[in-house]
Amino acid sequence: MNVFITGASGGLGRALANECGKRGYNLFLTDINEQGLKSIQLGIERQFNVTVTTASCNLTSDESVDQLLRKLDDNNIRFDMLLNVAGLDFEGGFLERERKDISRIVSLNNEATLRITHAILSRRREGNPFYLLFTSSLASMYPMPLKATYAASKRFLLDIAIALREELKDKQVNVLALCPGGLATTREAMRGIAAQGFWGGATTNPLEIVSTQTIRRLEKRGGVYVPGALNRALTFFGKLVPRRWIAAAVYQRWSKAQQHWNPVAFSAGTPKT
Amino acid sequence: MKTAVITGASSGIGFAALAELSKKGYHVIGIGHDQVRCEQAKQSAIAAFPEARVTFLCGDLMQQREIERIACEISTILETGNENRLEVLINNAGCVRSWYTTTEEGYEQQFALNHLAGFLLTYNLLPQLERANGRVIMTGSESHKNMRIRWNDVMLSRGYNPLTAYKQSKLANILFAKGMNDRYLSEGIQAYVVDPSLVCTDIGCKNTGGLVDWVWSIRKKHGVQPEIPAKTYAYLCEINPAPRELYYHLCKPNRFSAQVTSENADRLFTLSEQLCGIRYPNHADEIMR
Repeated sequence: MNVFITGASGGLGRALANECGKRGYNLFLTDINEQGLKSIQLGIERQFNVTVTTASCNLTSDESVDQLLRKLDDNNIRFDMLLNVAGLDFEGGFLERERKDISRIVSLNNEATLRITHAILSRRREGNPFYLLFTSSLASMYPMPLKATYAASKRFLLDIAIALREELKDKQVNVLALCPGGLATTREAMRGIAAQGFWGGATTNPLEIVSTQTIRRLEKRGGVYVPGALNRALTFFGKLVPRRWIAAAVYQRWSKAQQHWNPVAFSAGTPKT
Repeated sequence: MKTAVITGASSGIGFAALAELSKKGYHVIGIGHDQVRCEQAKQSAIAAFPEARVTFLCGDLMQQREIERIACEISTILETGNENRLEVLINNAGCVRSWYTTTEEGYEQQFALNHLAGFLLTYNLLPQLERANGRVIMTGSESHKNMRIRWNDVMLSRGYNPLTAYKQSKLANILFAKGMNDRYLSEGIQAYVVDPSLVCTDIGCKNTGGLVDWVWSIRKKHGVQPEIPAKTYAYLCEINPAPRELYYHLCKPNRFSAQVTSENADRLFTLSEQLCGIRYPNHADEIMR
């Protein structure tokens, strides 16, 4: 099976790449971080006897994506699975962030995801099932003040996944929307989780379980996967409560968390704890 | 002047060992990953002992390309300042993680830093160690007991337990030392593991959370200060002839797990070579490459 993974040098991308490597799938990995791609390529090749190809690509650029697609087409490569993992998040108040950072969230999380999904779906192996993953988030379930743009961008991906699942089921395409809570992938993520106290840890999902279950569910039937019983309960009860009440509760929780850890200052290299 | 390299030297046991060896007249090359803490550690060491010769190199030993870069920098220092010889290498850098987290290569972080980093760094400095009949010391732990290496899932990706990951990495430390002695004792390189016992450091509070952080913040209060185990490192560096046991606590040999066999050591060596993309040389001629 040929698997295409975006954001492959990030924490979730690496975990999913490991999971696919364990299953003997050949991997096409892309990310904007070329050094990170080289490192994960070495790691996968040394652990598993599979073929790993990497190509650095800026998914927000039509030109960069077209260049990547030309290389694939020159070699007549066809795919069986696409794992859309590339995405970014800037926490903090809407006006505390620069305009270009806010735009980048939508540009990468949404526009770039559609760009690469359309391209790889058009290059799927004929006559075989195809497996399509969108990495959404638990944040997609509610409006989230202080993570407003990120949460909305993930809601976009959730809805696209559900819609495409219906639209493409006759074409043997399984679509899964992955909606994890916190994932301890980077030092910044771990600091953010710790800053939220008990609820941060309680809504954090173990990466190794998420990656295994994601591939398993994607291959079985697709749908929406919310890891963790607590997160599933929050999702269910969240549907019964008016959205503006949820927005108020989330704002209160994140305000408190960001008193202990300022994500804007952390990104600027001047962390306040 | 003898030279010692110590990883994880900006705080805790590593810093205490740095101070101890500085007092004994070593040029100590400390490795840390935080630039500010490295600088503070260097200033503290010189303030405590003005004649100390301390160099700090900064890098993230979880990433293998960083290990190779740092090894090059160390080699340059040794070539110009110590006739290309290294008397002591202390693989002390270590971590604890509450969750399964991976390095750039996709390796579980406790296994990568606590074991593979030392494995790869030692490989890169082997010629210098061989020239000096050097000593390689790993920071171990009593928690290596009642543990086996999970050969089928060494990255613990089928269900992660932070304590299991730590115990496995500490067992790997002593297996690595055994493997080194099986291969290179005849070439004059001696490897040891120090059991520092429970030490009051911040290892369980860095990049952890929840239960691990809470448990460690209580446990560490019962630990000894890092200066106590530091004396065992200094003892193993200085005593002549070189002691022959493998595992030391408070300057005395101590019993270790029955899992420490040549068969397990060889198996871990082969696996670690595969994960680092290297091959340790077979004998002296190959070492002096």
